[in-house]
Amino acid sequence: MSTPPLLSIRGLSKIYGEVPVVDRVNLEVTPGEIVMVIGPSGAGKSTLLRCVNRIETPSEGEILLEGVNMAGETRNGKFVADPPTVTARKRRRVGMVFQRFNLFAHLTALDNVAIGPRRVLGMKAVDARALAMEQLARVRLSDHMMKRPAQLSGGQQQRVAIARAMAMRPVLILFDEPTSALDPELVGEVLEVIRTLAEDGMTMLVVTHEMQFAREVGTRVLFMDSGRVLEDAPPQKFFSAPHHTRAKEFLRRIHAM
Amino acid sequence: MGDFDWGAIWYGVPYMLQGALVTLEISICAMIVASVVGLVMGLISASDLRVLKVFIRAYVYFVRGTPALVQIFLVYFALPRIGFEFSAFWSGVVALAFNSAGFIAEIVRAGLQSIDAGQSEAALSIGMTNRQSIMFILLPQSLRRMTPPLTNEVITLVKSSSLLSVISITELTRTAQLIIAERFVPFELYAALAVYYLVIISVLSWCSEYLEKRMA
Ligand SMILES: Nc1ncnc2c1ncn2[C@@H]1O[C@H](COP(=O)(O)OP(=O)(O)O)[C@@H](O)[C@H]1O
Ligand SMILES: [Mg+2]
Repeated sequence: MSTPPLLSIRGLSKIYGEVPVVDRVNLEVTPGEIVMVIGPSGAGKSTLLRCVNRIETPSEGEILLEGVNMAGETRNGKFVADPPTVTARKRRRVGMVFQRFNLFAHLTALDNVAIGPRRVLGMKAVDARALAMEQLARVRLSDHMMKRPAQLSGGQQQRVAIARAMAMRPVLILFDEPTSALDPELVGEVLEVIRTLAEDGMTMLVVTHEMQFAREVGTRVLFMDSGRVLEDAPPQKFFSAPHHTRAKEFLRRIHAM
Repeated sequence: MGDFDWGAIWYGVPYMLQGALVTLEISICAMIVASVVGLVMGLISASDLRVLKVFIRAYVYFVRGTPALVQIFLVYFALPRIGFEFSAFWSGVVALAFNSAGFIAEIVRAGLQSIDAGQSEAALSIGMTNRQSIMFILLPQSLRRMTPPLTNEVITLVKSSSLLSVISITELTRTAQLIIAERFVPFELYAALAVYYLVIISVLSWCSEYLEKRMA
């Protein structure tokens, strides 16, 4: 018997007006998988990720995390949608790292990481801080704990954001173009941290334009265009012999850059 | 205007100070009530409590769309009808607070909504509820932005308190009118009245600037 999936996405669509931005996506992710999501801008990659942790409400389809439906439960054969507090509780299990970091601007790096354990998990202030220090040490930011986001470089901010997500002990972490807003010389330090998490067995979905990173770290590549998943293959296979013409075109354009 | 009656002004000083005290007392009480009520309404406006939001929108619509003077008369004459027997002083406080709370609710709502959407998305992503996101993330960041419009609102409130003279509360403006009726020196007393208000409002502005700097 194979391992049960950590994440199951079935028939997921997100429709704005009449336009399906995510279009009938199916995906099963087993624990430890590193799924690289690539595709042109506007393909629906961010929307897919945002549906997984329900920052966006899907129009159709369902998402199960460890077998639990993220939208609600079926009672006596009838589907009952979750109240917001239950959604919040389910969302704890999924970490998210944003393109623009989104660190809490009024808090120090330490408090950015500690506030989740403190306010959401209800830990004591000292314990939350200890946990935050541990997470910041993992991303090598022990020397910058008392700085505000504005005093940190982009790469440092993104590493704090990763520590903030990890402090909630998620079972899955979503990265939405984590290095796209960074100066080129700062990309490496963030990719390095993600690579380390991957080696530690963290399950993740990573939207990225860093093709070499996707090839080296990914266990699987999804290629998306116009809301559809057009390819789903191991990296070597995808990068050496993409099936779909759109994927070939995309790779050619990326390599030309 | 050669014969400016300084004597009337000196004569008025103790009465005017007494009136100024009443103006301050009413304004401060109204401000406290309006801040608490306005803050709560503003927080609800930014939350996901649909039904309450509709009520607050209607309330704000009414307060913005009617003159303060009309609101004062309404509160003054309506309260006894629905079983509240307040003194003139407390009717004045309720009337001013009723008006100001609507504007403060709007300031708070606008302040919260001016924070970048990425902040609340990040708060949600670590499992915060909407309420936690407002209390721990959005409100602390918007307090400083809210200070200038809130200062304006306090100034407006103090100035509006002069309207309470119509429900025979002997605050600063009515005090001046009583002295004018007694000695018939309208120009002198209205000039003095303006100066009294200027002093009060200058002190308030100075306090707010100090607060804003402290929050930086
Ligand atoms: N809130 C929204 N309302 C309407 N259209 C949206 C909204 N959010 C995203 N879109 C559209 O959905 C499409 C996919 O967006 P997105 O998921 O951000 O793509 P990607 O991350 O792959 O670049 C884009 O065309 C975008 O304009
Ligand atoms: Mg995107």
